[in-house]
Amino acid sequence: MDIIPQLIVNSIIAGAIYTLIALGFNLIYGTVKFFDLGYGALATVGGYSVFLFYKELGFNLYLSVLIALLITGLIGVLLNWCIYEPLRRRKASSMVLLVASLGVLTMLQAIIAILFTSQFQTLTRNSGVQRVFEINGAVITGTQTIILVTGLLIMAGLALLLHYTRFGKEIRAISDDEEVAKIVGINTSYVVSGVFFIGSAIAGFAGALIGFDTGIEPTMGLSLLLKGVIAAIIGGVGNVYGGVLGAFLLGFVENFGIWQISGEWKDAIAFALLLIFLLFRPQGIFKR
Amino acid sequence: MEYLIHLAILIGIYGILGLSLNLVVGYTGLLSITHAAFYGLGAYVTAILLTSFGANFFVALVAGMIITALVSLIIGATLSRFRGDYYALGSFGFNVIFYSIFLNWQELTRGPLGIPGIARPSLFGYSFSSSTSFLLLTLALLALVYACAHFISSSSFGRVLKAIREDEGAIQVFGYHSAYYKLTIFVIGAMMASVAGALFASYITFIDPSTFTLNESIFILAIIILGGLANNKGAVLGAACLILLPELLRFVGFPSDVAAQMRQLVYGLLLIILMLYRPQGLIGEYKL
Repeated sequence: MDIIPQLIVNSIIAGAIYTLIALGFNLIYGTVKFFDLGYGALATVGGYSVFLFYKELGFNLYLSVLIALLITGLIGVLLNWCIYEPLRRRKASSMVLLVASLGVLTMLQAIIAILFTSQFQTLTRNSGVQRVFEINGAVITGTQTIILVTGLLIMAGLALLLHYTRFGKEIRAISDDEEVAKIVGINTSYVVSGVFFIGSAIAGFAGALIGFDTGIEPTMGLSLLLKGVIAAIIGGVGNVYGGVLGAFLLGFVENFGIWQISGEWKDAIAFALLLIFLLFRPQGIFKR
Repeated sequence: MEYLIHLAILIGIYGILGLSLNLVVGYTGLLSITHAAFYGLGAYVTAILLTSFGANFFVALVAGMIITALVSLIIGATLSRFRGDYYALGSFGFNVIFYSIFLNWQELTRGPLGIPGIARPSLFGYSFSSSTSFLLLTLALLALVYACAHFISSSSFGRVLKAIREDEGAIQVFGYHSAYYKLTIFVIGAMMASVAGALFASYITFIDPSTFTLNESIFILAIIILGGLANNKGAVLGAACLILLPELLRFVGFPSDVAAQMRQLVYGLLLIILMLYRPQGLIGEYKL
């Protein structure tokens, strides 16, 4: 049996998930210029919100996903209001913001583990056989097709938003120079809140998708975040499209790496790739 | 009484970790989040030498320090090319890679099973098997590390470190080779952490990879941020506070799983509050 087609499919799916995380991360980083580690926990929040509404309370699937997106978006905005905005107003260094977001990550993970226990959970209601497609000897599940399609849709939607709407132009203005953006009359705190809402909701969506594909656990946010950050750095931090390319590169390197070595080394492979890039091409594939 | 001695030993071990990380983060301003890797390296070298080769604890301690020094030399040389946020992320990566090695190099570390039956230290026929004598040993090593940290921070070498923290470009103009200083202090810090690891391994008499995760590095960082950066007394004070604080939770009577999560919650919250209201910690001399 030939394993290559399956590896390619797996790489693309992993790439699509990392793309989502990297997109939201880059959006936030591009606007506020600090590594928001708490962002990873929002993916976990998204996964668990769907778990609560869809599986525990028995809501309709689309409604529960929608509620989950709202919840993660609002938590993102709330965190910005209570923590990041006051720090940014005080002109705190990006290290202070990094440590604060580390605190957010630790705290949110712990809260979720207390509320839902640290057990591994699945999101699908009927744990029976999933619909499976076969392409050229490679197997892809229905959920994974949805991951791919929605990943591409969100990517396109974000590109349209950034380029053709007034809101998108304001976001780009702030990421170029926040002071000047303020001077020309852009309500920066309003736009930044919007960025946090959209970015966090994307993370929440990614968390929910992973929940349907494999499952959720409280600590999943950290490793997801790290993959997203790696993808973002490889592609060029703050560059939305670079993040996409980086995510797929990471997906391929990881999946072909574990084919040669072994599954447990996945995280180490990802970080080795990051270190290689940081050493030899720190600006990433695309320079911003 | 036994319980109090146990807490005092833990404070001693984490005091050493805090002191050593403080040299790197507090005095030199390098946000390193990989300290648990060196802590783990020291612990594993000691454990393997003691169980497989029947070596004396103090021989193993020195061997651990030498090996950690060599490894941290390579890591430090890689990391010293980064600045600020990227330094933090790169160090993150090394912690994940080390955790993977502890977990997956099964021939050497026994993987997730851990290494049991590590002997307590003995010297010239005197065994430190009782808690009281082990406490004395811990305190002696803590005093030694404290003296070293004090000597370094008050020497001319320490002044160069502080100058690097304040303005690396300026100190380079004066002809100091800053990369050499950053590397030296990183290696010294790592060697001290391996001392703490050796103590931990022989105190608990059992180690497994789960002790040396990223969370542990974040915990050590929280210790010195709470106690105060660039203050040796602060590092020990921070260790005492963060070891004793969650013990109070024990008396509230949560089940052990929830209690562990509550502890994480407290650490996370503490980091956020400190960043918002007191970034220099309790008695710190430097703000991030």
